[in-house]
Amino acid sequence: MTDYRLVYYSANRLNGTAEQKEADIDTILARSRRNNDSVGVTGALTFSDGYFAQVLEGPQGAVEVTFERIQQDGRHSDVHLLEFVPIADRTFSNWSMAYVGKAVEGSKLAGLGATTGFDPAKISGQQLFERLRDLLLAEQAVA
Amino acid sequence: MQYALAQQSYSPDLVDQQQTGIVLLDHAGTVLFANSAAETLLLGQGCQNHPLAAALEGAERLGLLHPHSSGRILAAVAGDRELQFRRRDEHTLRLTMGPGLGGTRLLEIADVSKVVETILSQSLDPLTGLANRVGLLAQLAMDYAPGQEPTGALLYIDIDRFKGVNDTLGHPVGDRLLKLVAERMANVISADDMLVRLGGDEFAILLKASAIVPAAEALARRLVDLLGRPYLVAGHMIHIGASVGIALASGDGQTPEDLIRSADLALFNAKSEGRGTFRFFNPSMADALQQRRALEIDMRRALALKEFSLVYQAQYAADRSRLVGFEALLRWNHETRGAVSPAEFIPLAEEIGLMTTLGEWVLRTACMEAAKWPKGMSVAVNISPVQFRSTALVAVVASALAASGLPPEQLELEITEGALLNNTAQVMDIFTQLKALGVRFAMDDFGTGYSSLSYLQKFPFDKIKIDQSFVRTMPDSHDSAAIVRAISALGTSLGMTTVAEGVETEDQLMRVARDGCMHVQGYLTGRPVTADLATQLALATIGEEND
Ligand SMILES: Cc1cc2nc3c(=O)[nH]c(=O)nc-3n(C[C@H](O)[C@H](O)[C@H](O)COP(=O)(O)O)c2cc1C
Repeated sequence: MTDYRLVYYSANRLNGTAEQKEADIDTILARSRRNNDSVGVTGALTFSDGYFAQVLEGPQGAVEVTFERIQQDGRHSDVHLLEFVPIADRTFSNWSMAYVGKAVEGSKLAGLGATTGFDPAKISGQQLFERLRDLLLAEQAVA
Repeated sequence: MQYALAQQSYSPDLVDQQQTGIVLLDHAGTVLFANSAAETLLLGQGCQNHPLAAALEGAERLGLLHPHSSGRILAAVAGDRELQFRRRDEHTLRLTMGPGLGGTRLLEIADVSKVVETILSQSLDPLTGLANRVGLLAQLAMDYAPGQEPTGALLYIDIDRFKGVNDTLGHPVGDRLLKLVAERMANVISADDMLVRLGGDEFAILLKASAIVPAAEALARRLVDLLGRPYLVAGHMIHIGASVGIALASGDGQTPEDLIRSADLALFNAKSEGRGTFRFFNPSMADALQQRRALEIDMRRALALKEFSLVYQAQYAADRSRLVGFEALLRWNHETRGAVSPAEFIPLAEEIGLMTTLGEWVLRTACMEAAKWPKGMSVAVNISPVQFRSTALVAVVASALAASGLPPEQLELEITEGALLNNTAQVMDIFTQLKALGVRFAMDDFGTGYSSLSYLQKFPFDKIKIDQSFVRTMPDSHDSAAIVRAISALGTSLGMTTVAEGVETEDQLMRVARDGCMHVQGYLTGRPVTADLATQLALATIGEEND
């Protein structure tokens, strides 16, 4: 069955201190990994001051159901769906949900905006996907 | 209208007669006798010779009845009224009062839960599993039962652009989308609320909350946001929106029908104010709708009564040396309303599907008139985006030309960018076919919309009409002057004639001429005049040239 790739960005609505946000992200990642594993979805997530950006890959139905759940999550809003296309190969097949930005100077949040920063008004789904992929590869190289 | 629950005549096999509770009361409301069914259903044991009120309060205290139920029941008994209500365990009871022997009164208690369930099962929407209209009416009938004080709010929700999804992606996708919509709504309401699919892409929520106005507003906001987020169905990304109308049971409806009408009106208002929004009902909405309906009726009559007419505004060469043609403008003079502004009736005509007929009349009339003018003098006719959506326009134009004998190159169709926005392949097709007839095209109101250069490139217009807002502000605004210059230059290089609209002063005329604009139209060079005057003017012009 053909896999699909979905790319979106959204306004993050996390509140609280940097530590609290970090904890929230951990919760989201833990849930995502467990859920995604069970339906064969993989992907990557990043977080900057104002935004989330995420790539989901997997069977069409599984991606649709997962996205519908994410969509209704109050921890973000203004979800902009950039791309939903069939793909030949998965890029993040090793990650049920990779988190991009961990390697940034010991802290998950410091300077992340600058590192992963993107101008959502201009970026295309393809570009956002490539950005996440490259950042992840760079982090792999560092680790 | 029939309310299933309120007026259902209970079929005997659904109500166990053996289980009917019988209570005899004296004039003071003391229980003289209660059978065991009455005790089991409502009163509890040992109620004999005690006031009914005491037994009911006991049942309330023990948790068999909802708080405040005893008061409602006593009021119904005292008023000899029938009452249907739900016990805490969801059983539904119906109480009926009647005269007993020797001045006593007889209270019958029936457990009608099965009836209610059966009816409810007929009141479900098969696609979403939600209650349907019948279910909503049944619930409202209970809320509005005698002795009840209806509270809460009714929200009517309409999905914007749903039809487009059905048309382009098919019904199976449309159905799956509706399920997702229902799911999103179900996730944001609470257990006391009722979610209903009214049919098609219309839903309703019967909201129960204590501070109802802020609660309804918060829910409406939430729905507009949540339902407007993108959907994925069968590999398609789908964007739709939602409009919401709200009516309050406490004030916007004396009856279920009233409440529904109010919610529907509020929804209608939300939709006409641009969709993707919500509105609370207010009584003036009914007036506004009334007025709109009246205008609609008058407009449908106006064609037959010949209340529409055309006036013609002259277009001159910018140096005023020559009259080049006229723009035909639609007027409606109603016998009691007087002159109705096109800004008021054109949008309504488009909405109620009258624009095509009206537009055809304009085309035929303008062509007939212009056929009397000298060769080379053009008549410009405005074509609404609605007309431009149908290929029928090509046949209508061809027939108007044939019937009048007007040479095609003297007919100029004015369209705005809005007409070209959607459905480009079909629009292109219509444009090309009309061009092939030999008629000319003018781009109207240029500079106000997207002013997309790609349209000018893709559609070979003959003329660009520079919007009057630039011409008006020209003496004071450098920007406007620069825009007029730029459009004129653009026109020249693309081989299109430019026309400045709304020229009112000598100063403006001098400036547009200096900035390269070729033709002018406006109050300075001529107000709109009747057909007869226009024709006289046209014929006089040729006379002058012959001199
Ligand atoms: C930015 C963002 C990304 C998320 N990504 C995923 C994801 O990839 N997979 C997932 O199952 N849940 C994801 N979630 C969480 C879901 O919205 C939802 O809370 C979760 O799936 C509920 O799972 P549970 O029912 O197991 O608690 C994400 C939430 C946010 C805010």
